[in-house]
Amino acid sequence: MATKNDNPLDLLGTAVTRRQFVKTGGMLAVGICMVGTAPLKGDTPKAAVAKNSLDPSLASSWIEIHADNTVLIRTGKNDFGQGSVFTAYRQIVADELYMPFDAITTVVSGDTDRTPDGGGSFGFLNGGTPNLRKVAAYTYQALLDLAAKKLGLEKGKLSVKDGIVSGGGKSISYGDLIKGQQLSLTIPVQGDLTSIIGLSVEGNPPMKPVSEYSVIGKSFPSSAIQEKVTAKAVWATDVRLPGMLHGRVIHPKSLGSTLISAGQVDKTKFPNAQVIVKGNLVGVVAPTEWEAIQAALQVGDGTKWTDWKGLPGTAKFYEHLRNEADWKSTPVTKSSATRGDVGPALASAHKKLSATYQMSYLKHAPIGPTMAVGDVKSDGTVHIHTHNQNPQELRGEIAKMLGVTIDHVVVHIYPGPGHYGRSNGGNAGAEDEAVILSQAVGKPVRVQWMRPDDMQWSTQSPAAFSDVELAVDDQGKLVAYQVDHFMPPMQDDRLVGAVIAGLPTMAAPAVHGDFVTTTSNEIQDDWLYTGAANVIERGHGTFQVGQEASPLAVGLRDHSMRTPGQFQQNYPRELAISEAAALAGVDAIQFRIDHLKEERAIGVLTAVREASGWDTRPSPGRNAASAGSTPVRGRGVSLMLREDSYWACVCHIAVTPDTGKISVEKCTTAVDPGIVINPVQLKRHVEGGAMMGISIALFEEVMFDESGITQDDWSSYPILTMADIPELIVKLIHNPKVGKYGGGSEAANALAAPAIAAALHDATGKAIRRLPMKPAYVQAALKA
Amino acid sequence: MATINVNGERREVQAPGDTPLLYVLRNELNLVGPQFGCGVAQCGACSVLIDGKEMRSCITALSDVSADQEITTLEGLPARWAKHKGLPAETAKTALHPVQQAWIEQQTPQCGFCQNGMMIKATELLESNPNPSLLQIKEAYTTSGVSPNLCRCGTYAAIIEAVQHAATLMAKGR
Repeated sequence: MATKNDNPLDLLGTAVTRRQFVKTGGMLAVGICMVGTAPLKGDTPKAAVAKNSLDPSLASSWIEIHADNTVLIRTGKNDFGQGSVFTAYRQIVADELYMPFDAITTVVSGDTDRTPDGGGSFGFLNGGTPNLRKVAAYTYQALLDLAAKKLGLEKGKLSVKDGIVSGGGKSISYGDLIKGQQLSLTIPVQGDLTSIIGLSVEGNPPMKPVSEYSVIGKSFPSSAIQEKVTAKAVWATDVRLPGMLHGRVIHPKSLGSTLISAGQVDKTKFPNAQVIVKGNLVGVVAPTEWEAIQAALQVGDGTKWTDWKGLPGTAKFYEHLRNEADWKSTPVTKSSATRGDVGPALASAHKKLSATYQMSYLKHAPIGPTMAVGDVKSDGTVHIHTHNQNPQELRGEIAKMLGVTIDHVVVHIYPGPGHYGRSNGGNAGAEDEAVILSQAVGKPVRVQWMRPDDMQWSTQSPAAFSDVELAVDDQGKLVAYQVDHFMPPMQDDRLVGAVIAGLPTMAAPAVHGDFVTTTSNEIQDDWLYTGAANVIERGHGTFQVGQEASPLAVGLRDHSMRTPGQFQQNYPRELAISEAAALAGVDAIQFRIDHLKEERAIGVLTAVREASGWDTRPSPGRNAASAGSTPVRGRGVSLMLREDSYWACVCHIAVTPDTGKISVEKCTTAVDPGIVINPVQLKRHVEGGAMMGISIALFEEVMFDESGITQDDWSSYPILTMADIPELIVKLIHNPKVGKYGGGSEAANALAAPAIAAALHDATGKAIRRLPMKPAYVQAALKA
Repeated sequence: MATINVNGERREVQAPGDTPLLYVLRNELNLVGPQFGCGVAQCGACSVLIDGKEMRSCITALSDVSADQEITTLEGLPARWAKHKGLPAETAKTALHPVQQAWIEQQTPQCGFCQNGMMIKATELLESNPNPSLLQIKEAYTTSGVSPNLCRCGTYAAIIEAVQHAATLMAKGR
């Protein structure tokens, strides 16, 4: 997700925009910041902070320094397996405060009543300056001011090591400095707490010079790992409240079916079970989980739904998407890389390529289906215990669903199965249903989706296709590149249970939605090949497939998943660039380098070339074959810029043409994120991303008929297993002269597909421009 | 009412006999190491050891487990190791099973939801084969059970390194 916050959002009517300023008088003269155009006038009136919220203007809402010189930090982002809040955030704060890593003893994350800033759990490093870094920098200046006064020295004469301020032969710890008093410091923030971005800390406090980092750059372990491995972690799945009932939801028969009648529970078999109906939502609750599961199956069998056949089905899908979807209502976007005049360049070209690239819908597919405990209390307050990437936005959405203000809602966050973007707008699936059922029975209810619910009723990463036309001249130069990207919207944050129940939700993606809910297809993948003279990149948007036709307003709902939108644009581009290199008769890495100016992009390509054992030559290889039962081998490359980090990947594959089966034998990834904060954690996450990338490239495709998704388990939606993994090489390029740290792991997901597809072309001489590269598709394409 | 033997203790449980063991462990005994992933033995998140063999607790009915059989959950791994090595039971309160230690030292989990099953499978493997080859590790996690053990975060390489590291720790007796 982009994390720019130029236009604070107010999707849910809960925006609290604060423009508060650091005071300039006395000991509070820290980090004077200019926000907006208002002058500094001492106290600026504070906007109201909702009950059950922390005041983000208080430094202690973010960072608490204790008398024993230990530190507690709070962040609205929470961990989804990246570990950033337990590793990188502690390292960043420790360095800004000139303290050791171990001094940051406590991390509070996610809970809406205990963290200040909200926002989706993505883009943790926020262009090198996460909120907590700025707060730490403000706090450091305030501490120096305090010490200067206490020690009777000028601020410039002080130095700090391990949280102890020294100067003029005297020293004092932070803990002693602030003992018995509140650090008087106002943190300037703005934004919408319950939006996808949350609040941003404003201003430009002086930051620690990169050359003085001593905690950043070291491989500290994640404290979350220790707790999970020893069964000490309290997972969302473990939450048990007094009087809590177990709930299961009977989702409609199709993505457009409405309820005719709910089944009755057989009280002879399930004496304690109860059926709850709200709109088209049917739930079953019981005191024990097993009774709830069995009763829900029995009630589900007796529940009657209308039929609906409003989807095109997988077989006709791309034809539908190209010819029947409405691409006209949504304005076409263009990238800033657009330049020159592509038309004449294409017309007069030496060699041309005109091709279409297709990508399937993908499931986020967490290992555990979504679940939540809802607890609607008799006084009208609502507590939700769950695992969610954006608890404050969930809080806002639940408030909207119930018609109450956000100070009635608290979301408590626990670890859970990673779901890679699915809930960065607040909804993974079960949260609202747990609240609806709890409200109906007046007790806490734990709703656990079963595996089929999670496969069929969650959102998916949108399918897409791209039309590329390019040309190379007789010097082997890319002279024209034109792409039209077509993709449905990717951010449906509506609470699905509320939609089914007919309760208020935020809007579905629409032509005139804001930057999150728009149907507009922005260009997400930065164009890197500045050596190409004529470039045009266009984005075409449409509505979610089936959503408008569905009597439930559901259809195939989409949601961002690791490198959202960028993956759908980078795969066609990078495969097309490899094909252009082949047309030019030039090695695919050298061809890229020949068209690049950015040193860091060239650097990752050079690094991946060396680390992977790349053999420099044009594609296809000399032994390429598109038929036969003997495996043929090839290698391909891909390149991406994401969140200030440069990435390159080489995949070496073997493919058996007669069966179409691909085996990735080696996957080499090089990344230059600027400053590497934690080498071991970054390496592990690059490895993981590479694996998910291979899984997406080879296996994953959402299949649906005219009524809904037909997959309901891991056998019908297979993902990568350990048997499928290649040799993995990760090359981290620590590049401190960049002066900041770029995004960590998610780009690794996107890199494998175009590299494998280019390797397939290298091995067989045929370009296969469709994901996933399932054996049947590859086999058919090679025979064609 | 049934009696089962979990992590070295005999436990009386109330659940009907057809209840999957997973819900008995999690909801009655508060042994929450095993997780619900699929409910149909396709992922391994719910794995436990029954007499040393990795089993999927989501499809194992309570009535299919006798009081003589020894169930080990993630919580019971330290005690299992202490018993195996003839160490005082008190050791298990402070020392981890080498598999857990290796998982931490290798920084293996990401979201960690599948890792219960991954550690259970590693324990099963290393108890019968103290020095498995790469191929044997891959077989253990893909073809030895009723389904492969699935990890969505893609930690398979980290799991392999952790199994190899655990083998070293176990050989040293830690």
